[in-house]
Amino acid sequence: MFRRDLEGRFGITVSLLAAVATVFLLLPVLFVVLHSFSPTRYFQWPPQGFSLEWHLNFYSSSMFMDAAKNSFLMALIVTPLSLVIGIPASYALVRSSFKGKAVIQQIILSPLIIPGVVTGVSLLSLLSAAGMNIGLFGLCLGMLVFALPFAIRALSANLLGLDPRIEEAARNLGAGPFRTFFAIVLPQLKSGILAASVFVFVEALDNFSIAVFLSNDSTKVLPVAAYQYIKDFDDPTVAAMATALIVMSIILVAFLEKVMGFQKSLRL
Amino acid sequence: MAKTSDRSKYLISPALLIASFIVVAYGYFALTSFFPKGPPGTQFVGTPTLDNYWRVLGSGSNQAVLFSTLGASFLISLITIAVAVPMAMVIVRAKREWVGNLIMLAIAVTFLSGGVTRAYSWLILLGNRGLINLGLTNSGIVDAPIRFLYNWSGVGISITHYLLPFAVFTLIGAVRNLNPSVEEAARSLGASRTTTFWRITMPMLLPGLMVTLVLVYSIALASFLFPMLLGGGKVRMIANQIYDRMFVEYDIPYAAATAVVFLVSAFASIWLISFVAKKIEKAVS
Repeated sequence: MFRRDLEGRFGITVSLLAAVATVFLLLPVLFVVLHSFSPTRYFQWPPQGFSLEWHLNFYSSSMFMDAAKNSFLMALIVTPLSLVIGIPASYALVRSSFKGKAVIQQIILSPLIIPGVVTGVSLLSLLSAAGMNIGLFGLCLGMLVFALPFAIRALSANLLGLDPRIEEAARNLGAGPFRTFFAIVLPQLKSGILAASVFVFVEALDNFSIAVFLSNDSTKVLPVAAYQYIKDFDDPTVAAMATALIVMSIILVAFLEKVMGFQKSLRL
Repeated sequence: MAKTSDRSKYLISPALLIASFIVVAYGYFALTSFFPKGPPGTQFVGTPTLDNYWRVLGSGSNQAVLFSTLGASFLISLITIAVAVPMAMVIVRAKREWVGNLIMLAIAVTFLSGGVTRAYSWLILLGNRGLINLGLTNSGIVDAPIRFLYNWSGVGISITHYLLPFAVFTLIGAVRNLNPSVEEAARSLGASRTTTFWRITMPMLLPGLMVTLVLVYSIALASFLFPMLLGGGKVRMIANQIYDRMFVEYDIPYAAATAVVFLVSAFASIWLISFVAKKIEKAVS
């Protein structure tokens, strides 16, 4: 691989700009962690000490804990479902050609280009017109619709890199379609499945624009709870929530890096 | 081959079922936009009408929100790309690999830490007594705090921050695909590094820049949470209007007409950008 270093005044300028951009990128993430340990309700600089009050407040708030339960329950339902639906669909989309494939692909991926608010409001409108109580089912359905394209994109990218001749060889040696799939295709799809799971899980936990339409008081999820809290209270409790989510994302990145290298996994 | 395509129908049908559900939802919502608002508890009543569209398109304030959403998204996308290009260059080309890996790590953690986290953090950072204003006033750069919140500057900063990982991820591929020997040739013919960058690197990067522009522009258009939190009701983008019409005015057909106008103008502007981009690419090459 050809690497050309950034040299001279031009190289220094580019590197400086990149450094400033990286600081800009990290600033809110680092700041929110720092702010969560603030001893005061309002931001003060330099910090006048250290306090766990907001973390305790977050973990002892029944509103946030219920929301966390709902969020994780929903993400744990949506993630495996999007894999079970996404794996066969990506396989069909990548490996075979059939009539209307391009149109079907466009339809399945449409929630990627249509703004989340429009998807959320459309689903709410249809479900309530059908007289359905939204509940956990509606929330999971909405999130599945939204998350499925992410899963299919990650899985298709992985499938495109596999050699179909290995599957043909297995078939020629007498393996049935199911055995070929489970013994040959699935093991090679490991990195795609991992990337898809992480993306779907994170998107489902973080999504606000669909969740705000489809969650009610009994199915309130973390982003919606955080938004309502920010509107009503002015203290760093949401910073404590953010810290928990950031720690989780660092663990996920470390996990992806260990299994497949995140440079590869994030290039979707 | 016939056998495979038979099987692929079964393989794809669960995904298709989910997808047709969303298509029905989009279609039903679009249909709603052609009817008058119904009494509470109903979606719409009466006979088809275009009234909702006249309300969306006829009012000056609605037009202002539409055009500021399109214009601001475009401007924010350009700024994001300008910030992302040096990052992508350093990630791909830095001599020491750890530098690129460090930036990638920063991007990955930020990307996965979520939108609500970042919106909240900017809300505190950009306040009149937030870290940014404290730094600016204490260092004497400005006398009085700059108002970032409840106007476009704060909303723009937070959306740029949200878009940055998407832009860098997309640009990395484009920078990696550049053929460095063309740049080497320019250098050996006596062009300076800066000249080479503007005359050789950027034109070669143009297709990648355009793909990135379309991607981040379409994400920027959909912004909802950032104007909602950092705009404090003063800055409104179309997504916020749709939400208000749904939950404040309880006027579903009006919300639906707004959404249809939003989608049509979004797709039209994306098409226009791609069209102009192709023209520019042709003119350059």
